[in-house]
Amino acid sequence: MRNPFRSQTADAPPSTALVTDLIAALGERNVLWRREDLIGYEYDATIERVTPDAVVFPLTTDQVAAAVVIANAFGVPIVPRGSGTGLAGGTVPVRGGVVIVLTRMNRIVEIDPRDRVAVVQPGVINLALQDACAKHGLLYAPDPSSQRICTIGGNIATNSGGPHTLAHGSTVNHVLGIEVVLPDGRVSFLGSRVPDAPGIDLRGLFVGSEGTLGIVTQVVVRLMRAPEAVRTMLGIFESIEVASEAVSAIISGGVIPVALEMLDQEIIRAVEPRLHVGYPLDAGAVLLIEVEGLRESVEADAQHVVAACREMGAREVRTAESEAERAALWEGRKGGIGAIGAISPNFYILDGVVPRTQLPKVMAEVMRLSAEAGFRCANIFHAGDGNLHPNIMFDELEPGATQRVLDLGGAIMRLCVDSGGSITGEHGVGLEKRSYMEWIFSPADLDAQARVRAAWGTGERFNPCKVLPTGHGCGNAHEAEMRRHLSTPGVYV
Amino acid sequence: MTTAPSAEALRTLLPPDRYPGIEAYAIDGALPALAVRPANREEAARIIAAAEEAGLVVVPLGARTQTGLGRPLARYDVALDTTALTRLVHYEPNDLTVTVEAGMTLTELQRTLAANGQYLPADPPPSDAVTIGGLLATARPGAWRHHMPGQRDLVLGITSVQPDGTLTHSGGRVVKNVSGYDLHRMHTGALGAFGVIVEATFKLAPAPAATRTLGVECESLTHAAEVATGLWDLALPLRALTLLTPTAAEAAGLPRSAMVLLECFGNDAVLARCGEAVRQAAMAARSPRAGALPDEAWTKLRALAGDPSQVVLRLGAPSSKVAEVAQAAAEAGCIVWAHLAAGSILAVAPDLAADAVRALRAVARDRGGFLQIESAPSALRREVDPFDVTERTLVAALKREFDPRGTFNRGRWQEDV
Repeated sequence: MRNPFRSQTADAPPSTALVTDLIAALGERNVLWRREDLIGYEYDATIERVTPDAVVFPLTTDQVAAAVVIANAFGVPIVPRGSGTGLAGGTVPVRGGVVIVLTRMNRIVEIDPRDRVAVVQPGVINLALQDACAKHGLLYAPDPSSQRICTIGGNIATNSGGPHTLAHGSTVNHVLGIEVVLPDGRVSFLGSRVPDAPGIDLRGLFVGSEGTLGIVTQVVVRLMRAPEAVRTMLGIFESIEVASEAVSAIISGGVIPVALEMLDQEIIRAVEPRLHVGYPLDAGAVLLIEVEGLRESVEADAQHVVAACREMGAREVRTAESEAERAALWEGRKGGIGAIGAISPNFYILDGVVPRTQLPKVMAEVMRLSAEAGFRCANIFHAGDGNLHPNIMFDELEPGATQRVLDLGGAIMRLCVDSGGSITGEHGVGLEKRSYMEWIFSPADLDAQARVRAAWGTGERFNPCKVLPTGHGCGNAHEAEMRRHLSTPGVYV
Repeated sequence: MTTAPSAEALRTLLPPDRYPGIEAYAIDGALPALAVRPANREEAARIIAAAEEAGLVVVPLGARTQTGLGRPLARYDVALDTTALTRLVHYEPNDLTVTVEAGMTLTELQRTLAANGQYLPADPPPSDAVTIGGLLATARPGAWRHHMPGQRDLVLGITSVQPDGTLTHSGGRVVKNVSGYDLHRMHTGALGAFGVIVEATFKLAPAPAATRTLGVECESLTHAAEVATGLWDLALPLRALTLLTPTAAEAAGLPRSAMVLLECFGNDAVLARCGEAVRQAAMAARSPRAGALPDEAWTKLRALAGDPSQVVLRLGAPSSKVAEVAQAAAEAGCIVWAHLAAGSILAVAPDLAADAVRALRAVARDRGGFLQIESAPSALRREVDPFDVTERTLVAALKREFDPRGTFNRGRWQEDV
């Protein structure tokens, strides 16, 4: 496979000296370098593919540092990677080099119920941490829908969200301290075990930096006490626009649910026949709404939610009467994206944000643009945050379809920006959205961002060609030359 | 200080009424050569660019309540007063976001938001008299950090002026956004090291239906920590959960006793439930007295934490070690109160020796925490690093990138910055 970003072709033999040094530092079991072994690390859950020179699986912080130092000595790029569920191409080794996979550093080092913190390695699976915390009646709040497979290290790299971001905030709000290997191989600790550490917030700057400022090797996260009571409701609406109006009505009434999720008719019809979770097939859209807290406040908040939904024209508002019913409603939400795979050969997930009051107008426009481009579009998203995820369904075998889908994606992103929003709420910029950065940031803004990279000594080799557009820290990457392969591996939102 | 001729050149850039007298702008006893109060961000940018060109040091100032934070300035030429930048730039109540200029006071912002049943959940020292720019640049937590996000997590975007006068933005106006590097987090708590904040966008919260201040008198700080930990575990809607030494209780206008002071919020049923929980906790702890207390207790503690005539220390410690660290500070002669969940301990004394501060820093560090000097005479801040930062290399590198000539607040951070 040709790699337009490197002078040598990927068919050339691997740099044996590089591989030899990596094996010496990490052991043969923890280094992949044969052509056939590298293929699995060409891509993430997006569309670009480039083959790395080597893939390593460090077991310790020292091994991560050693791999970084070796890659630096050979002048090859370094790309950190977790489970590879990224949706923006953030882990694609655009210029080859060494992919450092953190999944074998997967130990929960400590859960301290008294201090309400956990210390974990970067390869710990998000859900595994949640499960471990639940045993202590505690909660690690960020819950991206890929939580069954995504790692905490990846969550930090992309500042992951999830349905419960609405009340509890994104990953950055839950990370207290991070041990990192910096681009020069030095190990540092950013933040503290305690909130509000003195000094410049390097921790806050690092979270969401998409693997361009270093590699996470250990993390201190903040835990919360699980709530006393939870109520989960399903608001049933005639259309996605009406449901969008209800979102603002609920929140402007002074109640911020912990989750407020939208599923449109396409999703309902994909999910219900397969998972039988109880979504009405004839609904235009449903809102999955959850409130939590003391029993007394949950009762009052739920009443407000029901009233607001009815006032905005909900056909019905159902309440989960048991834990099983609640789990079923969430099962439909978490399995929603997977269900699209069953009704369409391919689909492309978008991630944009708008002020939530713009949702009705924006959703109507998303549907109009999709119809105009000749594609069906399924919507399943974090409505409370104004964080939309249109899923454009298509068949890549149809000539020209892929390009038209990408064009439609661009038009929808433009719509978000023009509505006062942003090009990504939780998936990241990665490779895919670098060119959209200029829509929301001026050249001066982007220069300021590039200065962060310069200060960190990231250079051109630490996860190159990510986040910032061409000319801001990445040479001439010709995206058009990259092999585009719109596929549907295990993608989630 | 004699007026430097170079600063004089800045005096003709703006209309004469933009230049107030310098007397009100003393920092650590030193006066600037020039004070400027620009009417808008463009004027601020012109002054900053001209100062950079002339090699002058600019010190951005808001309400000037926290000038004893950080190392003493290495040089002080131009006081840049931001208090005329008071525009409400954008407010859509149904989005629960607001964009304001940096010179607006928190009082003014809260007044605007309250009209829509909303507020910015921040209670910095010494009071709501602080400006939005100061609130962000100092990032000092208050009692509400028990439940509420810190300034870093409330800010969605910032506009700042760079040393060359360029205006740069980061983040945006939406509540969830991962586009690019979060420079607004870097500016928050940076004491103006990387630029002058002129505008910020915040995530807001609905104002609580009602709040109530409750207290439980305890035998000791350790006892108070046990009671507070029990209450914390009940997952009650508390905005603050604080331990007080007897002297802190007295300073807050309460009976002189170690105690747990908490603030619950919600509807009447929730407040009643919290009251009952506190009553039961008090019974279990054999506390002589428990119940409702005046809300002014919080106002008084805030004011004390922001009192420029005092030495104010903020120690961090994991929750389980908060009582130990607080006790050490009390034994050093400080008035001490501590926010349990935030692991934040405030220690205030009229004066403290450098060795005493170093000893307390060691106590906090031994338990996984830190000590920051939030206010002190310049001599103490010269002798003991006010910050407790291990990663200095990256901070120095960021300063070199963002402010290579040291135009902003030179000397505030560290020797080589």
